[in-house]
Amino acid sequence: MATTAPRLGMHGIGKSFGRVPVLSDVDLTVDPGEVVALLGSNGAGKSTLMKILTGLYTRDGGTIQVDGEAVDFKDPAAAVASGVKLLPQEISVMPDMTVAENIFLGDMPLKRRFGILQVDKDVMRVRSRELLDQLGFANILPDMLVKRLSVAEQRIVEIARALAGKARILVMDEPTAALTEQEAKMIFKIIRRLKENKVSVIYISHYLSEVFEISDRIVVLRDGRNAGTFITADTQRAEVLAAMLGNTVDDLYDVGAPGIAGAEILNVEKLSIPRKLEDVAFSLHQNEILGIFGLVGSGVEVLGRALYGALGPLKTAEVRLGGQSYRPMSARNGKLAGIGFVAAERKKEGIIADLTVRENIALPFEERFERGLFMSQAEEAQHAIRWIGELGIRTRGPEQKIRTLSGGNQQKVCIARWLVEGVKLLILEEPTRGVDVGARREIYGKLRELANRGYAVLILSSDVEEVAGISDRSLVLDRGRIVGQFERGAKPAELMAATGNDPAFQAP
Amino acid sequence: MAQSIETHPAGGAREQMIQLFGKPWSGVAMLGIFYLILIAVFSVLSPYFLTLRNMLQIGGNVAYIGLMAAAGTPLIIAGGLDLSVAAIAGLTGVVISMLHGMGFPIWIGVLLAIVVAGAIGVVNGLFTTRLRLNPLIVTLGMMSIISGIALVLTGGLTRPLMVPGFNWVGSGRVIGIPIPFIIMMVTFVGLWVIMTKMRFGRYIYAAGGNAEASRLIGIPLEKTVIILYVISAISGAIAGTILGAMLGAAGPTAAGSQLLTVIAAIILGGTSLNGGRGSVWGTLLAVLILGTLNNGLTLLNVSSFWQDVTRGVVLMLAVSLDQIRTRALGE
Repeated sequence: MATTAPRLGMHGIGKSFGRVPVLSDVDLTVDPGEVVALLGSNGAGKSTLMKILTGLYTRDGGTIQVDGEAVDFKDPAAAVASGVKLLPQEISVMPDMTVAENIFLGDMPLKRRFGILQVDKDVMRVRSRELLDQLGFANILPDMLVKRLSVAEQRIVEIARALAGKARILVMDEPTAALTEQEAKMIFKIIRRLKENKVSVIYISHYLSEVFEISDRIVVLRDGRNAGTFITADTQRAEVLAAMLGNTVDDLYDVGAPGIAGAEILNVEKLSIPRKLEDVAFSLHQNEILGIFGLVGSGVEVLGRALYGALGPLKTAEVRLGGQSYRPMSARNGKLAGIGFVAAERKKEGIIADLTVRENIALPFEERFERGLFMSQAEEAQHAIRWIGELGIRTRGPEQKIRTLSGGNQQKVCIARWLVEGVKLLILEEPTRGVDVGARREIYGKLRELANRGYAVLILSSDVEEVAGISDRSLVLDRGRIVGQFERGAKPAELMAATGNDPAFQAP
Repeated sequence: MAQSIETHPAGGAREQMIQLFGKPWSGVAMLGIFYLILIAVFSVLSPYFLTLRNMLQIGGNVAYIGLMAAAGTPLIIAGGLDLSVAAIAGLTGVVISMLHGMGFPIWIGVLLAIVVAGAIGVVNGLFTTRLRLNPLIVTLGMMSIISGIALVLTGGLTRPLMVPGFNWVGSGRVIGIPIPFIIMMVTFVGLWVIMTKMRFGRYIYAAGGNAEASRLIGIPLEKTVIILYVISAISGAIAGTILGAMLGAAGPTAAGSQLLTVIAAIILGGTSLNGGRGSVWGTLLAVLILGTLNNGLTLLNVSSFWQDVTRGVVLMLAVSLDQIRTRALGE
């Protein structure tokens, strides 16, 4: 091995967006037939590194070699031509085409008949059959429509497509995110076959148990740098977690002391949504910040909006809000019951881009600014100016269009909307997604202030450091169930470990 | 220091550009300038053009189109679209003339037509909100249904509609101003008040600007859009009444050909087909521009076929200019 070049060698890779460095001096090597897991928390630089490898981004510095040969991919097509293929997290298949057509998409075998060039369906069928047999899936037929397949089988078609393109390096980004445990096993089976065929795999996942099951080596990134390389067989999970998350508590979350929890505001029992949440129960008090952490697909993206009512009437749930029975019905109903909701996707679900800061703030409770038949713009402006001041929203004034504000300031406007008499509970999804570090700290500080003023604050996030850092209590969601409960001061590693489906494991 | 001297003038000019054209009113202002240029050109080309009589004539002639365009503006801003409005105008004339022929007082016919139009608006609204069907398809279907019914009811014939008090609505004047023009202006002012001064107006812009966010904020999205479809449909009924009164006759297809003018005026007026942006004053100016163009070209003896061509060119030109302006501001 020592004499042959590795299948992939990335050395000294650097990349900045504007003045913000996202990767500095990162190395990654993969041998033929090796499975390397690439780990790191949100923003560690994993996806940037993979986008550089697959030609989506250009690098600022460093070298990339495939089989000892220096390469410089200008676009994804060039990477694919060299056998480097990315399977993105979202499955991308053509649902109305057959399995065979999907496998040979973009590179269909041709034949000439009556002088006209056309797709050679027989060759395509035969070669699809070979590929699927090679992967061990005789039950998937080349002529099936892809939309009739399960999600896991669609994944397999995608992998077969990569192999048809003679992939030598396969980058799999969270390949099991939408799959059940059984289905995940199928993917592992394929990865083992790929190994036998000397295909190299870079495996990105948040699930440590998966990583330990399938990988040969683990490469950890933190803050855009190499933070450790481990031979999987000789490594404890705790070592990997420590490398991923570090042991220093960030002063990002050092934003003021928590208050003393007051009366119970929210009590949830037996909350179930088929295939998404199972028997979730928790309570939340005045002056308290409760953080719920879960990875993508854990149910963390539906729990908050389900309680608010945005998913429509909930059939199975017993919820008490402010001591009274409350049934989530609709967003409007939730709002009138005293819940404020800040959605994860700010652009799509939060701001009304063409309206002003004043209008965006006043929107949920316009009736309170009505004087007779007409809106009182003066009172709206007064209200907006108050919260621009209290939340430190950086804007030229209430009449500025919200679209021209930075992400962090837009987020503050989305919070300011709910700060009116009568709202007791604030539910925030991913409160600092797409927000720069400085503004993050400010938002955490404001949330703490709001909690101290008597709001009950519920945060749902896939950012483990955020949940561990800001919460007075935190819960961990995994595959729809609450699998861990922590007090203030728990380490991110402990929360992350709770998702690992491994009760024997104890965090450092 | 040297650097700042170098970059400042360019930055300053850009700032000035943005200050000048970045204001919400700049689109409407540009239309106003275009309108004045148009008037100047026709004044030079035709001695009959710039007379009070002719100007008032234009105002009266475009009124029924302006009425439908006015009501269509908030609907498009809220993310809807009503292609059935001109067909409703046609049906209205038919309903009025038939009921009148059966011996009912003329105003009963008008009232009934407005009620029918309201019901059509509710159906349009329910199909697009509750069933989440594309408004283009729903109202296109509705247009076909309504014009079909109007043809069935009349056998395709135009019926006379000469009733003294009634025809005054179409051709009468108050202190020299045509009644239809007054009705149109009252509608524009009323809608402007609703859209900018009242709660309902906020919901209109919010619904079209970001429907999903509006839903999550808990504003009554469906109700807002349904009401706007009703307003649009009723504007069709009133437009049909005015047209019938002006012509002294009701034909099933009387207003149908003006649908494109209505939509063109709304878009030319700067309302975004994607929703969320626009104003009724832009629509008003656009209606006046299209009406003036028509009138001026007629005075110059240009055939009506060439008028269609000209109208299309002006529309595409104006929309392109607006797009270029928006892009230049880097939005």
